[in-house]
Amino acid sequence: MNPRTRRLLEIVLDNLVWFMLIFVLAIFSAFVPNFFQLGIFANIIEASSVLGVMSIGLALVIITGNMDLSVESVAALAAMSVGVLFCSAGIGIGVTLHPEWLMVPASLAIALVVGGLIGAINGFFIVKVKMNAFIITLASYIWVRGLVVAVSGGRSAQDLAPSIRWFGIQRVLGIPLTAWIAIACFVVFSLIMAKTPFGRHLKMIGGNEQATFRAGIRVTRNLLIAFILAGAIAGMAGWLLTIRTSGATANLGVGLLFNAFAAVVIGGISLKGGVGSLPGVYAGVLLLSSINTAINLMGLPANFTQVIHGLLVLAAVLLDTLKQSIRHKLA
Amino acid sequence: MKRFLTGLFGILALAMAMLTPAFAQSKGTVYYLVPTLLDEFQTGSVSALEMFLKQVGYEMKTLNADNKTDVQQSQMNDVIALKPQAIILAAVDFNALKPSIESARAAGIPVVEFDRQITSTMSDFTSVAGTIEIGYVAAEAAEKLLTEKNGSVKGKILQVLGDPGDPYTLDIQKGFEEKMSAFPEVTIISKPAMQWEASNAGTIVADAVVANPDIDLIFNHAAHLSVAAVAALETAGKKPGDILMMSSNGAPVGLDLIRKGWLNVEVEQPLYAQAAAVAMFMDKLVNKQEIKPGEYDVIGLKGVVTNEAWGPNLKVPGAAIDKSNVDDPKFWGNMKPPSDTIKSVE
Repeated sequence: MNPRTRRLLEIVLDNLVWFMLIFVLAIFSAFVPNFFQLGIFANIIEASSVLGVMSIGLALVIITGNMDLSVESVAALAAMSVGVLFCSAGIGIGVTLHPEWLMVPASLAIALVVGGLIGAINGFFIVKVKMNAFIITLASYIWVRGLVVAVSGGRSAQDLAPSIRWFGIQRVLGIPLTAWIAIACFVVFSLIMAKTPFGRHLKMIGGNEQATFRAGIRVTRNLLIAFILAGAIAGMAGWLLTIRTSGATANLGVGLLFNAFAAVVIGGISLKGGVGSLPGVYAGVLLLSSINTAINLMGLPANFTQVIHGLLVLAAVLLDTLKQSIRHKLA
Repeated sequence: MKRFLTGLFGILALAMAMLTPAFAQSKGTVYYLVPTLLDEFQTGSVSALEMFLKQVGYEMKTLNADNKTDVQQSQMNDVIALKPQAIILAAVDFNALKPSIESARAAGIPVVEFDRQITSTMSDFTSVAGTIEIGYVAAEAAEKLLTEKNGSVKGKILQVLGDPGDPYTLDIQKGFEEKMSAFPEVTIISKPAMQWEASNAGTIVADAVVANPDIDLIFNHAAHLSVAAVAALETAGKKPGDILMMSSNGAPVGLDLIRKGWLNVEVEQPLYAQAAAVAMFMDKLVNKQEIKPGEYDVIGLKGVVTNEAWGPNLKVPGAAIDKSNVDDPKFWGNMKPPSDTIKSVE
């Protein structure tokens, strides 16, 4: 294989998930009635905003060779906190601030603090007490969802303050602002991961924690920050979820965790840590969202939807595995 | 330390002594096995059953199965060991609980089916609105709405189901589609909102209105799904009334959406009446007395008891709520529990 072909193949493999996305979009456009239109593409981007933001936090932790199963429940708690405070119907107490735009930073700050706090609790037990990340975050997944049910009493909050809901309605270039927020998050965190020492250190920790420690890098501090960030970012996903649904229900976000894991893995991040980049994760999120949308548009019996969804995700992951094996042969 | 412990035990003993008279007045404990606490109907059913059972002298304890059949089976086994006066079951899975129901009845514990009818085995009493019947009521409402809009019963309906693994939503679908099959000019597109999660419903509606701009009516199988559906319509630039919408269960959020003009009809499950009926017949159930078929006044609604193959079955009809009657306090979604105390059926 000459160097030029090899380089070309490397580029294809590095961006395989994007090629997969283009391929899938082309297939759906050709064969799924009504798929090929701007409104549907805008929907795909909009529907991927919550999952996308949640996947960023999860990816940060997975890159370090750890795991965070609590992100879904953390997002739900943040959503419920914002819902209870800033919704005016159901269990919402309808807090208002003057001027009204203040409610935007206030609600976002609450969501980030709620998420960050739970991330800090997770981080404390995993990093400082040296407990297993799977168990600790599984426990958080359970107790935080329990807290959502306890706080809400199983009831829902609706009618989010218009100044916050504005982000879900207002469009720029045909895409809602919530989706632009998700895109901005991906850009910012991709730059942090690629261009800052912190991002590089997280990857190094995931590659070899001992070697990173011996190189004089503050592993404990960086890991703790990664968990706090994962929590805070999940809180932000919850904030977006509240905006998207104009309120919060006790089961809001159920099932997002597994989609987030699928997106992260499809996006090329190794569950062993140390490998992967965030733009790939965004492509993974868009891929899942496209599949969902295609299923919504196909005239399939409702009962088979889950089967098809699972098989399509499996196909995407198999393609990713194929990519890894080609890369090994090239190395 | 010894003094502290003595004091602590003293306080505990005093508290227990104060509790005893309360227990003495109670006719015993009834367990309610609720399928989930993640939706407003279910949480409402806990408080309604507790309130009505208290009025007839029973204490109620609730166990939540988190929508897991195996968890509910374990709960049934645990509760049977506790020998309560009765078990009220709102089954996660309509048929999987059959062996547990039979075990409870074999142990002499009456089993009441609440809200979710189980026809594969005998129960001591069933109190339902009828999930298939909710589908019928919704179909009647859809016929009326489509006729008003299109001149006859024709058009396109988007039906947003709950989780496709939940027989509750499948029964509503069955009833709805059975009635609507009489109208060949009606197209129904059915999509499930996995795990009854609201944002899934929002995504379905967002995609559907772009792909099918000619949708006339959206029927969501729960009111909380309508909230997300409305948010999706709002994002798509729609205004209240642009697309007809209805949902079922009668939760407070659904009634609020009617007031705002987004929702045309909410098919209510008569939660208070269903719960009151259980309490009204509890003495008869506990004392193993016969429940006679016939009409009964259940907090002002007509409940009909029939003897079915699965035991005495009480049905309270669901009602269609629209702008004209949305403020009626009898609807549980208005969160005004009946002020009159119920009495046990003699």
